[in-house]
Amino acid sequence: MQLLTLLLAACLWAISVQAEEPPSPYLSHLLQRAHDAHLADEREWHLLLHYRVNLFGGYTSEQDDPGFFLSPEGKTDPQAELDATLTQFFSPELVGRSKQPAQCAFVARYAWLHDRLGFDPGQLPPMPCERFERWIEEFHARSITLVFPSAFMNNPASMFGHTLLRIDQEGQTPQTRILAYTINFAADVPKDEGLAYPVRGIFGGYSGYFSTIPYYLKVQEYRDMENRDIWEYRLNFGEPQIRRLLMHAWELGNASFDYFFFKENCSYHLLSLLEYADPSLHLTEQFGFWTIPADTVRLLAAQPSLVTDIAFRPSRVTLIRRKREHLSVSEHELVRRVVRDATAAQSEELRSLPLSRQAFVLDVASDYVRYRGERDEAEAASARVHNRQILTARSLLRIPSEDISIRPFATQPDVGHRTSRASLGGGWRNNDTFEEITVRAAYHDLLDPEPGYTPDAQIEVGSLSLRHYNRAEQTRIERATLLNVVSLSPIDGLFHAPSWKLNLGMQTITHRGCELCSNWSVNGGIGASAETHLLRREVFFAFAEVEGNYSRAYEERHRIGGGASAGFYVDLAERWRLLASAGYLRYALGEQSDDVRWSVGQRYTLAQNWALRLEYNHRDHDNDVLFTVQAFF
Amino acid sequence: MLRQVIVALGVVAVASQAGLVMAANPDTGPGCGLGKLAWADYKNQKNIAPQVMMATTNGTFGSGTFGISSGTSGCTNDGQVMADQKTTMFALLNFENLTQEMAQGKGEHLASLATLMGVPSEQHAAFFALTQERYTALVQDGETASVALVKTLNDAVSKSPVLAQVVSR
Repeated sequence: MQLLTLLLAACLWAISVQAEEPPSPYLSHLLQRAHDAHLADEREWHLLLHYRVNLFGGYTSEQDDPGFFLSPEGKTDPQAELDATLTQFFSPELVGRSKQPAQCAFVARYAWLHDRLGFDPGQLPPMPCERFERWIEEFHARSITLVFPSAFMNNPASMFGHTLLRIDQEGQTPQTRILAYTINFAADVPKDEGLAYPVRGIFGGYSGYFSTIPYYLKVQEYRDMENRDIWEYRLNFGEPQIRRLLMHAWELGNASFDYFFFKENCSYHLLSLLEYADPSLHLTEQFGFWTIPADTVRLLAAQPSLVTDIAFRPSRVTLIRRKREHLSVSEHELVRRVVRDATAAQSEELRSLPLSRQAFVLDVASDYVRYRGERDEAEAASARVHNRQILTARSLLRIPSEDISIRPFATQPDVGHRTSRASLGGGWRNNDTFEEITVRAAYHDLLDPEPGYTPDAQIEVGSLSLRHYNRAEQTRIERATLLNVVSLSPIDGLFHAPSWKLNLGMQTITHRGCELCSNWSVNGGIGASAETHLLRREVFFAFAEVEGNYSRAYEERHRIGGGASAGFYVDLAERWRLLASAGYLRYALGEQSDDVRWSVGQRYTLAQNWALRLEYNHRDHDNDVLFTVQAFF
Repeated sequence: MLRQVIVALGVVAVASQAGLVMAANPDTGPGCGLGKLAWADYKNQKNIAPQVMMATTNGTFGSGTFGISSGTSGCTNDGQVMADQKTTMFALLNFENLTQEMAQGKGEHLASLATLMGVPSEQHAAFFALTQERYTALVQDGETASVALVKTLNDAVSKSPVLAQVVSR
């Protein structure tokens, strides 16, 4: 026992001696020069460590993995981290999650400090970083492309779209782009999170990591499974920037970031990577409270000569809908028949068509059967067998499919309006006049200018309207929206997805002698929609809905009921849209009452970020006319 | 060059099949993790791609298997697919897209597979025609479908008069 204590003491002594060993003269020299040059105050160092100015005027790194810092104070002390980094460069000790010597784990820091201080290889020998060299070589990197899969309404994390980077390879053709690696930042979400998912996602309950998933997997995920169109923006990065980007990405293998859906999300952290690649770009500082992927796309597209080329990759649904436009009525019927029954692929009627038309009919049918298999898990296995039969018939035709160019239904995201909106206007309500100002945090509603956004989808988050009534001499919060989502999926012979909506907010009502009463409501509906092309494009929709209201205007302060609504919108001209709807709700619980509503609204687009609106709303005892000028910012 | 690739692929195909047998028992030693994960966890091979997708989507798969500088993890090295696994992994994970394009006689997945197999781009049309012609032989059911696909394709390429010419050059 005594011997053990003695040994322990000896060990401790040995350790403390080691720790107190004075730094080598060359290290002291480097530390001094770094101090004199104020390297820890430089933007490049802050970009490398992801420092942001905090509330108290100091610095805090957004990075949350302790292994990313070489000093215990590294998260909040740029100088201490720089000193510790220089010290660690002398040691072969394995650091960080990637378990490499500091010179290799943090190659970008090493490269920058080497560049600024000119390390003497005799006194600070460079260590071989074989893992890194093999890794960076394997990309055969030639250029960088920003990839933007558009919004996907059925997952709260991807309602606003997503962004990732693709590392394009030397010798890559449009046909082999899918072989390139991507750099993707995503939250690590355990399986079966259910309802905890959006909550933890909003408040940073997950950690996010960088990974290099092959692009073919991402294309499958977005195009085949989630049916999202993809936009690809080639960035004008030269060899030095690409190397810087990859060096820093390698370091970020040691990092993890608390993932916040709204701000520090996929798009935000990609911007910080691009900023390091080209420090003349100032990107992340443009975002205060939230980072919407489409905004980051617009921001990059707005940088002078940064984006050189834009490519579109249609989702499977877009593909089918566009190909369908090339079918004659009888061919269309043949597609339906093959989709119902694979043996129709051998039918006499199909065989009577020219070979190229047979091939086209079978190709559309095959795409559709695959779409159905992805949509419905129960049908996946039978869809695969069905598709195999169609493809067997197709292979016997022995001709390659013809190329047809697929045009998107949505315009490219960078031409869209910005995502926050301010409206100023006035109007009449019942016997009074008013002025009104509204600010909406995000993002897009059915009447907003459509270019750049997923058609037929509305997401409003955080909107507040302040109104002053002139006769009543009252200023009040007229409306508030926490969340107002509408997802319309026009149905037709092949597509049958339901439409749905959810609205959470407050309005002002007149009810039982209570004028200008606040009414909180939650409303959800499920229904269907359809489109026509009589004028330009028209969409019709109908919902069955349930609603709960809370207001002091009601007996027992609440009422709960259900009803139905229907409406349509029509593009009267390229810049002019009209939206009308009507509904009836009957409340059976709480105060027994009913409500009839209708509304007609029109929008005229003045410019990318400017619009005019004229809206009429009828609700129970209220008639409301509102004219506004809207600016997106 | 092409012959070397084909020989190498043949080895991969055989090795992967050996890996498969091992993977049937989850306790048998290390192997190509993705294959193991995919084959061991999901009974039906045809469900692998969607399952992998799901895992990729929610990030667990992405940060483990494809995590940057994450070391060696099954089929990947610091997040990149090991060179000798690239073709089989591509065939495994793109099985539905590949077979569709084989029947249709063209497509980006097929062109990418040809590139991975070392078929020069001026011979892609011949390669596409060959896969269309052999569609039924190439596309089989069962657990080893994608491995069999690569193997049958190698055989077919080496016996094809047009593509074999490229090989002998």
